[in-house]
Amino acid sequence: MSFDVETDEVEYEGSLVEVEDLEKYYYENDTLFDRVLGREPTAVRAVDGVSFEVQEGETLGLVGESGCGKSTTSETLLGLREATGGSVRFKGRDVFRMTGSERTEFRQDAQIVFQDPFSSLDPRMTVGEIVTEGLRIHGLAGGEERTERAKDLLERVGLSARHADRYPHEFSGGQRQRIGIARALALDPEFVVLDEPVSALDVSVQAQVLNLLEDLQEEFGLTYLFVAHDLSVVRHISDRVAVMYLGKVVETGPVDEIFENPQHPYTQALLDSVPRASVEEYGRRGGTLEGDVPSPRNPPPGCRFHTRCPHARDACTKELPPDYDTGERHEAACFRVDADHEYWESEPLPHASETGEGTSVGGGIADSSD
Amino acid sequence: MIAPRTIRSLKRGLSRNALAKVGIAIVVVVLFVAIFAPFVAPDRPGTQNLNESRQPPIGFEKATTQEVPVKENGSVVFEDGQIVTENRTVYENSSWDHPLGTDGNGRDILSRLIYGARVSLLVGFFGTGLAMLVGVTVGLTAGYYRGKVDDVLMRSADVMLAFPSIVLAIALIGVLQDALEQSIPDPFVQTGVAPAFRSALGLPTGMPESTTLPGTIIVVVALVNWVWFARVARGEALSLREESYVKAARALGANDASIMFRHVLPNAITPILVLGTIQIAAIILLESALSFLGFSSANISWGFDIALGRQYQSTAWWISAMPGLAIVITVIGLNLVGDWLRDALDPGIEGEGGV
Amino acid sequence: MSHAGHRDDLLRVEDLTTRFYTEEGQVNAVESVSFDVRDNEILGIVGESGSGKSVTALSAIDLVDSPGKITGGEVWLRDAELAGEFRGDKPEAVDGDFVDLRQLPTGVRRALRGPKFSMIFQDPMSSFNPSLTVGEQIAEAVEVQRRASANPRSTRSRTQGYGLGKLLVDSVVPGRKYTSDESHERAIELLDQVGIPDPVERADEYPHQFSGGMLQRAMVAQALAGEPDVLFADEPTTALDVTIQAQILDLLRDIQQEQGMSVVLITHDLGVIARMCDRVGVMYAGEVVERGSLEAVFDDPTHPYTQGLLGSIPDVDDPAPRLEPIEGNVPNLLDSEMPDRCYFADRCPKAMEACLEHPEERAVEGDRRHTARCVLADDEYDPERALDESQFEGGDGE
Repeated sequence: MSFDVETDEVEYEGSLVEVEDLEKYYYENDTLFDRVLGREPTAVRAVDGVSFEVQEGETLGLVGESGCGKSTTSETLLGLREATGGSVRFKGRDVFRMTGSERTEFRQDAQIVFQDPFSSLDPRMTVGEIVTEGLRIHGLAGGEERTERAKDLLERVGLSARHADRYPHEFSGGQRQRIGIARALALDPEFVVLDEPVSALDVSVQAQVLNLLEDLQEEFGLTYLFVAHDLSVVRHISDRVAVMYLGKVVETGPVDEIFENPQHPYTQALLDSVPRASVEEYGRRGGTLEGDVPSPRNPPPGCRFHTRCPHARDACTKELPPDYDTGERHEAACFRVDADHEYWESEPLPHASETGEGTSVGGGIADSSD
Repeated sequence: MIAPRTIRSLKRGLSRNALAKVGIAIVVVVLFVAIFAPFVAPDRPGTQNLNESRQPPIGFEKATTQEVPVKENGSVVFEDGQIVTENRTVYENSSWDHPLGTDGNGRDILSRLIYGARVSLLVGFFGTGLAMLVGVTVGLTAGYYRGKVDDVLMRSADVMLAFPSIVLAIALIGVLQDALEQSIPDPFVQTGVAPAFRSALGLPTGMPESTTLPGTIIVVVALVNWVWFARVARGEALSLREESYVKAARALGANDASIMFRHVLPNAITPILVLGTIQIAAIILLESALSFLGFSSANISWGFDIALGRQYQSTAWWISAMPGLAIVITVIGLNLVGDWLRDALDPGIEGEGGV
Repeated sequence: MSHAGHRDDLLRVEDLTTRFYTEEGQVNAVESVSFDVRDNEILGIVGESGSGKSVTALSAIDLVDSPGKITGGEVWLRDAELAGEFRGDKPEAVDGDFVDLRQLPTGVRRALRGPKFSMIFQDPMSSFNPSLTVGEQIAEAVEVQRRASANPRSTRSRTQGYGLGKLLVDSVVPGRKYTSDESHERAIELLDQVGIPDPVERADEYPHQFSGGMLQRAMVAQALAGEPDVLFADEPTTALDVTIQAQILDLLRDIQQEQGMSVVLITHDLGVIARMCDRVGVMYAGEVVERGSLEAVFDDPTHPYTQGLLGSIPDVDDPAPRLEPIEGNVPNLLDSEMPDRCYFADRCPKAMEACLEHPEERAVEGDRRHTARCVLADDEYDPERALDESQFEGGDGE
């Protein structure tokens, strides 16, 4: 089903996608009115210096809780939101500086599938129109040919060619997500961002879609950036994983390393929290982390995680931990990885469980959405 | 652009809502008589007949005793330097020639209402259309681009809103004068179809050959009312631009204009249309007010006719009341249609939910 | 009552049936559902969206709103006092210490919400009034219970105390509060009990000042105001992040054990069920298709739907190469589209000819504590008798 979409194969060094120090700040109190009143805009640091790379043919899982900036990262790296700082290179070329044909080509090569199967399809377009929208925009196929491709695509994602003339509201969530996937595939992309593609689906349907995504990756040689909060799904589909907390990547590594030998206390806590669907799980307490995620409007100094970390010490409040190598292609941003760090000499913070009784950390009050 | 399910939902709303049927009936009747005025008007709207002035509507005949000068051979009789008078019973006759009576100059009120509907509806529809065009363009642009564009556009809209609409309208009329007045020929009269029809039925012929299109008023009411459309369109654009399908279109490489026309506008159209029906009513009212105040160049118009009847308020109330009633009924009809559209279209996409 | 049940039963729901009368037609949201809740246990009800699990809970405590209507079934609550009261008037509604709530007057049923049942919901943000402080809203729940217990079985006492007049007076006269100081203090105690730090200060804050997790704790506090015997928790952690979910689950278990109450935990997450529940009911298409102890349902699932559900979730500790999803989609429960056969037959990999007849709830291998609505409960799958796929033509499944 490969379409003869013109792509000039370019030689590039390094990974397919390279994200470096990506920053995305939102500014609040930044309207004309606020400026007249002389209010200072507040920066919300949704993404605060994120770096990672995605290699050709692999699936990188980007995992974190809501508000950690994982979705903003994925949309910013595609240029759907304007980055505040940093760079993204796709096949060695800077995405934010692309113009003309380079940009057009990037728009064909990099696609996205969204979380919400209801809002991601225009309710006033037929499924056929939705699926072939990319072809229409790029003028790649017309009339009869486009209809044929719509049918091919629908059948490839497990729907029927008959569905092309229907409207999105006639489909269930799982079917809609398949339509969204077909739309992303229409331009024969190399790289697809999957932004929580299964989190709105029921478990039985979720498994169907995960299997479909795996089949498509194999068939078309796709590279995935899989954004999710569900660790089980991430473990299942990813080759490598990046864990985000409050706008920063705290740990990256091969999937088995991350899940079997997590180095960052946050990764460990996440894994502890996940309820397992087996009888041995009964009665296990999972609440190892106290308190809430602090607000990205006013992130804590030093290590972002120190307000909740059971191992936090005074040193963690002073300085942002760098990414330490902890194994092959496995990095964690935690002083505990460095046996010689002054962390080991400094005082544990009062809430840290190592001091004995853990007192409750007051909940950060602000809740931010992703 | 209108999907079959939208039509289904409209029909369902109609079957449940008796008032909507009334509203549609009113609007259809008003539209019909306005379009086919040369066929349905019983008399010429502009021809004066002082002998028949101030005839009451059917059903409102009454006899009054009046002091009338006695006349001999057509001249008044004097006695002791005084005019000789006698008490006589005077009948205010109504006749089926003028079912709604006549005005101070003996013109048939029903015919004037029918021709007045043309002006009111022309201003209502074209004024709303123009307001919608301007408002939606501004609103979509502001909502889609946000930021400075939004600030500039919407703050100027707020300034417009700060003026009382009548005052703003009068000021604009002062600037534009009647530079935009147009006279549109009546095709039914020009082609001779209407005169033939009328003479066959024995109705008076000599209907007006053209209708005034009060361009100035249309532009003015549009300039006064576009702000409402801008606000609604901006609100819709603000929320629609965050929909994933808009982001998906951008990821596919679509440009802003195509996103606005393919994804934002079609999904924002429902509230805009609903506002449109209600705005037609508001604009008809504004036009009437302006005509009443004498700012319109149209010499047949509901508002203008109300003004004409003002001096007969105590003796011939119907001259003002009939056009007033026409305005009330039309505005109610349009509002009922607007309510129906809002209720039927607002739930958005049906078929979701469940348990 | 038809069968005796367990001696620790607190609530026995039998053949509860709820219909929704919508524009599209009649929706069979809950179809002849039976379950029982024992003293001091957590019962899990698990199912996908549209399986009727939430409506089941709402039906049990009589909170179904129009266009929904409970059309049948019995809800037996163990309450010796209430049984004594109605033994004379309504002998058919009383069985030993049990009363059938469905046969009691509405006012009595309403008065049970709070002291007997309470409920927490998925979305804490929309469950609180944004214009009142959290403390005030919990105090209000306390106040309702205090007034009700001062004058049991009468809803009048509450409405008198809570009339428009009092509200007006309270809002005009300075210093007067809608709720009493005692209730406010109790509210702070409750907030403390659910692990909200600085409860005195937090009580005076508004819902939007709370994070999702904190608000869910506050909702638990509100539900505890009447010291209920059974707490229904409808997807209490679905809107929360996994680390916060873990906190709330720990809290629910602690509270359940401290108070010695029973919890009915409704969720789509099998992991949450495994961590929390003693017994489980699995719902599909408005029916409980399998129920039994956690071990029975998880380690020895009988209904192919339960098996499929367990097979379709990825395991965080063991990345299986391939998931085994259930094919097709969840049915929409429209009465006109519900077949006479087993509702799962069209998706079932083990459908047999016997499945063309709607199955009854059967004991699995003779064990009455483990039942399944499936012929496989006391039969083996036999490919010879497999159902032909062509039986399901006309459906538009994937």
